[in-house]
Amino acid sequence: MKEITLTIDGKQVKGKEGDTVLAVCQANGIDLPTLCHLEGLSDVGACRLCVVEIERERRPVPACTYPARDGLVVQTQNEKLEKYRRLILELMFTERNHLCAQCVASGDCELQKLAYRYQMDNTRYPYSWPALPVDSVNNYLVIDHNRCILCGRCIRTCDEIVGVHTLDFGYRGWKDMVVADLNQPLGESSCISCGACFQACPTGAIFSKVSAYKGKPSESEELISVCPICGIGCEIKAFVKNNMLVRIDSPDLTKHQGLLCYKGRFAPLNQAHVRIKTPLVRNARGKLESCSLSEAIDIVAKKLSELKIRHGSSSIAGVASSQASSEALQAFKEFITGTVGSKLVDSLDGDDYRAVIKGISNFQDKADLGTEAPLEEILKADCVLLAGANPFESHPVAGTYIVRAVRQNKAKLIVLDPIQNAFSYYTTVWLKPKKGKETLALNSLTKAIIENRFIKDSAQTKKTAASLNDVNVKRGAEEAGINDDELLDAAEMLGKSQHSVVIYGEGILQQRNPKLITALLNLAAISGSQSGGKPRIISLKPKGNSCGAWDMGIANASESVINNLAQNGVKALYLLLADDYVEAHELQWLPKGIEFMVVQSSYLSPVVQKANVVLPSPTWTEIGGNYTTLDGMAKSVSRLIRPPEGIRADRETINEISKHFKK
Amino acid sequence: MAKVKVATVWLEGCAGCHMSFLDIDEAIIDLANVVEFTRTPITDIKEFPPVDVGIVEGSVGNTEEEETLKHLRANCKILMAWGDCACFGGVCAMRSSFDKEEVLKRGYIETESTYEGKIPGPPGVPALLDKVKPVNHVVKVDCFVPGCPPEPKAILYALNELLASRIPVLPSEMMRFD
Repeated sequence: MKEITLTIDGKQVKGKEGDTVLAVCQANGIDLPTLCHLEGLSDVGACRLCVVEIERERRPVPACTYPARDGLVVQTQNEKLEKYRRLILELMFTERNHLCAQCVASGDCELQKLAYRYQMDNTRYPYSWPALPVDSVNNYLVIDHNRCILCGRCIRTCDEIVGVHTLDFGYRGWKDMVVADLNQPLGESSCISCGACFQACPTGAIFSKVSAYKGKPSESEELISVCPICGIGCEIKAFVKNNMLVRIDSPDLTKHQGLLCYKGRFAPLNQAHVRIKTPLVRNARGKLESCSLSEAIDIVAKKLSELKIRHGSSSIAGVASSQASSEALQAFKEFITGTVGSKLVDSLDGDDYRAVIKGISNFQDKADLGTEAPLEEILKADCVLLAGANPFESHPVAGTYIVRAVRQNKAKLIVLDPIQNAFSYYTTVWLKPKKGKETLALNSLTKAIIENRFIKDSAQTKKTAASLNDVNVKRGAEEAGINDDELLDAAEMLGKSQHSVVIYGEGILQQRNPKLITALLNLAAISGSQSGGKPRIISLKPKGNSCGAWDMGIANASESVINNLAQNGVKALYLLLADDYVEAHELQWLPKGIEFMVVQSSYLSPVVQKANVVLPSPTWTEIGGNYTTLDGMAKSVSRLIRPPEGIRADRETINEISKHFKK
Repeated sequence: MAKVKVATVWLEGCAGCHMSFLDIDEAIIDLANVVEFTRTPITDIKEFPPVDVGIVEGSVGNTEEEETLKHLRANCKILMAWGDCACFGGVCAMRSSFDKEEVLKRGYIETESTYEGKIPGPPGVPALLDKVKPVNHVVKVDCFVPGCPPEPKAILYALNELLASRIPVLPSEMMRFD
């Protein structure tokens, strides 16, 4: 880009063509006050605090929207401009309610900081005191319109960064205000509660219920870590004060991968479940009562040793949640397979794994999870197939990528799902197969791409066509309950796309059908063959460390342990849940008649009530560890706060049991 | 040299600014050598002779406060506002977003603990103004020390500036609104 030279405050400075005057100032260390400007967002010149004087301009202009040109002569500081800036601040303070002593953001407010800077010790204008509503319907976020300065940062973040564009301005002029959708309460709108607007807000107009009044971020320790909750692996910046999480932000909101979701931003501050703070042992009357960790470990080691001597090592099984860190899972696997010597180890999502890995090995020789594409591919896509997934619930950040692809990159979205998901507004074609007919629908779609020559013939198309010999597009579509024309439309979009991405989620995984996975891979390979390279496929795995657990082989690739506990005559079950709150439907495999059950968990859940011994787990914020993202990246999660007294790392607890176990 | 005469009044506020003033600790001894307080909220004299410096804490929310403030303004050379209420309206101004009658009804009749409530008014108690105002929206104010309450060091700074015959403007680092 062409270099340009400007004169700012009498000094020659350099910039690039296309820069704004503000960008040139910032690049050259010239300090200009801003409020509505946020690095990474488009500029709108709403607040007028960055006004500068430019030679031959009749009046001061906002630097953030004024294009820098070669030879421009700019004045950023003089008495007149300072007077204007203070005047603007006074107008802002008198327009709505900006009385700091009543505000949650006081001390961390950009408006307040500017008022200090310009020594605004009084206001000369009458207050208007509009009676504006406070919207607190959302689970996590509150919009107090009385604190709003209409800078539009939340709106531009919601639109440009998040993509969902729930927020915008409503009304006109004096009545102008931020609204969600068509002026619905935020909690009833299309808002996904990602909290990006909260982070973007310079005042206390948007605040979080779980952060409010816990402590000022500016007085807290800042820690950079990674959120391991859903497996996307977003970076977080945690504010910690007195061993309490005060707030979680994105370290770089407007940069690539800067988004967070309600799970990472708010859930860790809001303990929704009852914590287990001490080990529990079932007493003679059959009730759980608390005991010391060494007692609990003794009981577990003794009972397991006993059962092994009496019934052999295969009477003991271990099942872990893939929400646990790799360290915990590794120790757990070593204990069950090594120390105990049982082959019966599995994960709660083991059946998903077996279906996926079998599906991959049907597609190609190498049964490798590395076949999958990184998440960022969605942002490059011109066509996305979303099968059996509702990312706004399971993996919200992935959901925003899809919306951005559609809204910002004009990608086409094909949804293949018997049930409607939250993406219907963005969907180009919704293929609605009958339940259980997804495989047929996908195979018909793949065949339609090849038959109709939406892609060029190649060795690959021939091979795939041959493998789908028995599929007839018309009959297949009919049987699957899909409209012919829609199938053809989808086939054409996928075939002609230059960068298609196939995403599937729990709706597919829960069927545990390898053929379905193979069908998805075939479709991804065929629709992606136009642009060469490997199939771009992304599976939204059920747990935060599923990929790590699967790679580690905690689940057997071919045989299900969890579904055969009774047949295998298992007497004792060790259930490692870590900080996963497990719902009853995830434990349908649990047979009656287990003689001895150990549950290691952070939270009281129904399954804990069935345990003989309960061991407390720390949460990820209290211990950290290594996790593998759903697209296979190793991430290190660091500890943010100390666990409650006496709670140790899962790995340490397991190793301690291992030490006391008598082989 | 004659002592500088100072009168302080407390309008709609919480006395926090006066407390913060007392928090200047031992500096108050030096101050007492050069300043004479002719009227404070403790003496609560309604009408007082002219002074050099008038100090006002609190905002203006009723007719009595308005009158007190006007009396002070008429009887001082320099008027200084202390605290967020006096400078901006502060916590007292929270009611300004609502209708006055609504506020009175809520406070005196609808409160959960009230039985057969009655809205009081003149001549028993002064009438509320429609909106709460900062003092400079009622009379001319010469200098401001914002803060809720202002830091003792900010109050002391402002007083010392006045004693040095300068109109104080708080430097940015002493500014606070909470």
